[in-house]
Amino acid sequence: MEDLRTKRKGKILAVKDLPTLPPVLDEITKMIEDEHCTPKQIAEVIAKDQVLSAKVLKMVNSPVYGFPRRITTIQHAIVLLGFNVIRGIIISTSVFDVMSQAMVGLWEHSLGCATISKIIAEELGLKDPEEFAVAGLLHDIGKVVIAIQLPEEKEEIQKLVAKEDITYLEAEKKVLGFGHDRVNSWLADHWNLPLPTKVALTYHHNPESAEFYEKFAKIVHVADFITKVLEIGNSGDELLNTLSKKDFVDIGLSFKKLAKIMDRVLEDIIEVLTFIPK
Amino acid sequence: MQNNTQEFFLISPDETIYLIFDKFLKQKGSLVQFNEGKPAIDRILQTPPAMIILDIKIEDISYLEMIKLIKGENVYLQIPLILCLDKEIPKEIENMSVFDLDIDDFILRPINPKEAKIRLELTACKASKFLDANPLTKLPGNTTIIQKIQKLLDAKRDFALGYVDLDFFKSYNDKYGFSRGDEVLMMTARIIVNTVKEECGAEGFVGHVGGDDYVFIVPVNKAEDVCKKIIKNFDAIIPYFYDPTDKERGYIISKNRQGKIEKFPLMAISIGVVFNINGRLKHYGEASQIAVNLKKIAKKSQKSTYIIDRRRNE
Repeated sequence: MEDLRTKRKGKILAVKDLPTLPPVLDEITKMIEDEHCTPKQIAEVIAKDQVLSAKVLKMVNSPVYGFPRRITTIQHAIVLLGFNVIRGIIISTSVFDVMSQAMVGLWEHSLGCATISKIIAEELGLKDPEEFAVAGLLHDIGKVVIAIQLPEEKEEIQKLVAKEDITYLEAEKKVLGFGHDRVNSWLADHWNLPLPTKVALTYHHNPESAEFYEKFAKIVHVADFITKVLEIGNSGDELLNTLSKKDFVDIGLSFKKLAKIMDRVLEDIIEVLTFIPK
Repeated sequence: MQNNTQEFFLISPDETIYLIFDKFLKQKGSLVQFNEGKPAIDRILQTPPAMIILDIKIEDISYLEMIKLIKGENVYLQIPLILCLDKEIPKEIENMSVFDLDIDDFILRPINPKEAKIRLELTACKASKFLDANPLTKLPGNTTIIQKIQKLLDAKRDFALGYVDLDFFKSYNDKYGFSRGDEVLMMTARIIVNTVKEECGAEGFVGHVGGDDYVFIVPVNKAEDVCKKIIKNFDAIIPYFYDPTDKERGYIISKNRQGKIEKFPLMAISIGVVFNINGRLKHYGEASQIAVNLKKIAKKSQKSTYIIDRRRNE
């Protein structure tokens, strides 16, 4: 079992070509050529694609640039990488749409979770809500990488979810011996992502296990839940995990604040989802 | 990266070249072949190799664009690049100056293995002599900076010369240590390089004098925008280089020059800019003296500041 696990881990970390959505690539390429475009505008578009966001953050936090694990937002990454390197990342990103083929709805789910994480952070008056958006966007990146690197196992997981009426995470653990939360943690180390981002990615299913930066894990945990309740996209789960009152109270959410958050979510989500290309 | 784990990238669809190079590169490291350009870019950006051999025969992307991408970045430009050509030199290169075609050497097909070996070794050797570059940021160092400025002065060209340095860098270094300090220096270099490139394209120049001192040269009409943008980006990103508690309260506690404990604000960036218009300045020393003095005045403010001397002729 341990051998198989090591082998699978190796296969997952060997991931080179993450898939991404063609319309995003075209849009950014055009923006980079436009002299008047600012890093902020480009960041807004890149932030809508989890795969591209992961690549950009991985690049700016790699030892090549000399400040690993420091940069958490896409906008700062663009300032530091520069348009030239961003273009390099884009032209070398292979365009095959695994996500929408292999895991229907996961992209919409991730985008929804990013939007909601950001709204919660804003309503709680936290600094740098963009950091929470990135964490929300990438929280299921492990599922994408599993689908690319271990396609047969992914099929098995999906079948198991349908047959045994268990959560996606439980099915992953049965089939692979580990879940996408573990995969997230490996990827975060492998790509030198900053610690708060890693914590959110690793502990978004069990935030109480996070030793530090638990706020990141907790907010993404709540945002993930809201995304599922509102049925924005599809995370692969039929079942809804439970959310305790404690989860809300811990991050400082009152019912009054929650109501306000839900209002904003419903307003923003329409705008976000119209971006989805068909 | 001088050990035998180093990688050499061959970007070419041609199998025969691989066999030739693989023979003598085996002792030095490993040769990785890419049939196309795009997958190679991805690898180069993430794990820069010891050398790149680029064939003009790649089809998925223009080889000129690839050269521009690699040689245009301070973190990659030191990778030696050898271009593989056919006897028939392509038109687009024929009309180009050697300086614009930013390569380190070239080889012609059909490849003579003995000659190729010597050329490879020579190129590697030249690259290691890239001595003037700052060892940390790989930006051009003092010799290049002085030459560049003097050349512009002699040609009586209008330009703006900026001197940049960081406020409270020393106290940051004292508290967080040298390697964290180096992170800040790398970050600052990236901000200056990208800002100058985005505002001025090929007309701009950035050098690293040493420590937390940098220099840039830009067209006169761009100077103010460049200063503003550098400051904006630096101020937005620098808090992330502090630990959460220091970032939160906005200052650090460290020793001052007398060894006494003191509060220091987060780092700021100071820029002094001097204009050379209508051949006002004659010597490098004169230009740098004025810019450095202005920078010292800018430094008096604890916040990021720039000061521009717009004088024309006295």
